[in-house]
Amino acid sequence: MRNLGNPHRATDGVPITRRDLITTAVSGAAALFAPAALGAEEESFKFGLTPVFLSNDLELLGHLRSYLSAMIGSQVELVTRRTYQEITALLVSGQIQSAWICGYPYVQFKADLDLVATPVWHGKPLYQSYLIASVGRNVDDWTGLKSDVHAFSDPDSNSGFLVTRALLAENRQLPGNFFSRSFFTYGHRNVIRAVASGLAQSGSVDGYVYEVMRETEPDLVKQTRIVRKSEWLGFPPIASPKSASNDRRVKALQQALISMEDDAEGRKVLALLRLDGFAATDPSLFDAIAAKVGTVRQFG
Amino acid sequence: MKLLRRFRSIPVSYRVPVFVALLMVVISAAISERVLNRLSRTQERFLDGLAETYLDGLSAAVVPAVLRADVWEVFDALDRSSASYKSLAPVETVVTGPDGRVLAASDPNRIATYSELPADYLNRYGPDVVTIDETRLTGFARRDLAYQGQPIGTIHATFDVSHLFAERREILVTLLITNGVLASLFALGGFVLVRQMIGPMRVLEDHMRSAAHGAAEPISPREIPAGDSEVAGLFRGYNALVHAERERANFAMQLAEEEKLSSLGRLASGMAHEINNPLGGLFNALDTLKTHGETPGVRDTSISLIERGLAGIRDVVEAALATYRPERSQRPMTAADLEDVHLLLKPELRRKRQRLDWSVVWNGAPELPIRGGPVRQAVLNLLLNASAVTPEDGTVSLKAMSAEDRLHIEIGDQGSGMPADIAGILIDQDPGPAVRAGRGLGLWMVRRVVDDLGGHASIALKRGGGTAVTLIIPFDSEDAKAHAA
Repeated sequence: MRNLGNPHRATDGVPITRRDLITTAVSGAAALFAPAALGAEEESFKFGLTPVFLSNDLELLGHLRSYLSAMIGSQVELVTRRTYQEITALLVSGQIQSAWICGYPYVQFKADLDLVATPVWHGKPLYQSYLIASVGRNVDDWTGLKSDVHAFSDPDSNSGFLVTRALLAENRQLPGNFFSRSFFTYGHRNVIRAVASGLAQSGSVDGYVYEVMRETEPDLVKQTRIVRKSEWLGFPPIASPKSASNDRRVKALQQALISMEDDAEGRKVLALLRLDGFAATDPSLFDAIAAKVGTVRQFG
Repeated sequence: MKLLRRFRSIPVSYRVPVFVALLMVVISAAISERVLNRLSRTQERFLDGLAETYLDGLSAAVVPAVLRADVWEVFDALDRSSASYKSLAPVETVVTGPDGRVLAASDPNRIATYSELPADYLNRYGPDVVTIDETRLTGFARRDLAYQGQPIGTIHATFDVSHLFAERREILVTLLITNGVLASLFALGGFVLVRQMIGPMRVLEDHMRSAAHGAAEPISPREIPAGDSEVAGLFRGYNALVHAERERANFAMQLAEEEKLSSLGRLASGMAHEINNPLGGLFNALDTLKTHGETPGVRDTSISLIERGLAGIRDVVEAALATYRPERSQRPMTAADLEDVHLLLKPELRRKRQRLDWSVVWNGAPELPIRGGPVRQAVLNLLLNASAVTPEDGTVSLKAMSAEDRLHIEIGDQGSGMPADIAGILIDQDPGPAVRAGRGLGLWMVRRVVDDLGGHASIALKRGGGTAVTLIIPFDSEDAKAHAA
């Protein structure tokens, strides 16, 4: 199901990519520098990060690890992977204790996951998906993007794939028919780069990432324009596997996230993320996304 | 040939610098050609190496993505590599898949993903690693991608090579400027050097030229270069020559003066004799007057005798005065000048009991446009010489004839003939050797007079023995005009 409309899937055919090797090496190095991981009474707390945004921001990762370690009282290991799927697999299989995932995998594995917290952006735990095109492009709405070469973010991304996929499904279209070609960039920033450079004529991107990048990389974002904004949907949440529900550190994590704005280090993290904070939300926040999954399933 | 002749006519102080400059231009052209040739080969090798490295790195990065036909990964690799290979200045890189379609180009707006590769991309490669298009200042290279021996795609790279040409141009300009400056400096140096070398020769040339005009001056010690021993030796040699010539001239003049005095002495004794002869008669006449002065006949006869005697003495004195007073020597010649010579010679002739054949054909004009003084001096000298070599009771002759524009004078003797070296004083081009031997100074004076008056002398043997010296003296042209007027 997740592979629908994904003709160039990264993990098909070639088992390991260069980026995989690099990320593996990075996490390996991180493990070496985390003495608590080996021989300690308690295994380090593994927190997974999807490339939902702001990939490879080392400053952010440093502050986040430092904040979470202090608040949870345990060594925190941040685990990053190239694709959503890899992090989701690690999370669902209980190999990591918690992860910041996308709403789409969350609703897919809702039965196996507990919702820990949801980021609050502009006062709400909501965000949008954008359809973007190059700035000089004269299109009125999403139908003008027909026959484009389209850049998706990730096949397991809500804003970077599911929303557009569902929009097409609602209109009885498949990406393979509507777009002349499509490819995945495995990063929202990459979608913006692909559209800005002309590699793709349009792209599906996380509205939150797009707005943050409008501040951080205005020259890049200026080369694109928004063709369509989706309805407001549940912000990519932090979830943990149900198997870890008894882990006190999960509770501590939830507390740490919710009270992040009360701490100086936490405020640094929030400032870098351009978020207001985190909130404990009801799983029903993601019903709209679940509905989109239903639409897609129904159509195809 | 004409050009070569014209080049040779340029003074050496300009010719050498021009030649040096031309030589420098030729050398610098050859060197520049070698340098640029070497540079271009080095640049091409360097570019080939860079391009190989670029393609190697890019191949390693894109092969997995090309295998998966992962457009984004290929583009991302191209995008990142363009920043990593700035020294190569890649302009455009295109990666195609196994079907030849574009997977990604560094500028997707120019060459779209999934489009067919433009045809000129396939035809632009030569045998080298990097093919250079000099008109567009770009270089092209391609690399076929293979995985497990199977072709999976191709990388087409375009580089900006304008910096190579700019570097070549810059080096060419540097070479031109450097060689130009060097050529100018060498030319200037050559000019200064040659001028400096020629400078002393010029000093020598000036002195020799003025010496040719009769004013041989030694080179002043200030002009003798201290360091240059060759030039200094040359200058000193020239100065020694000038000093020797001056000494010789002074010596000759001194001898001439002595000769003049000696002939004057002979003349003076002759004159004393000439004056002494009538003096006896005059005293006799005075005695007669004292004793028989009252007798009218005796008185008149005595007075007449005294008058004639005194007139004879006056003539001799006047002739001597006319000959030896320089201020009179500038006046034009008259027949009287020759008569004076005759008068001055008379005592000597009488002493040796010699006869004088006297033949003067005057053209009727009272004076000739020739300075009289020098001619009298010369004729007198020649006649005295003739008298000296002619035996007692012999005959000395003088024939003078004035023609339209010249005066012929022939003096004959009955001597045994003139030795060749003595005769040379009169007739040779260079009377120097005989004069330097200190002989024939009387003749040398004659030669000077003849040269001075623009005439010439010749010597011939007379039939029946003896020698005839002929002087031909042209009329002074300016005086001749005045005379004609």
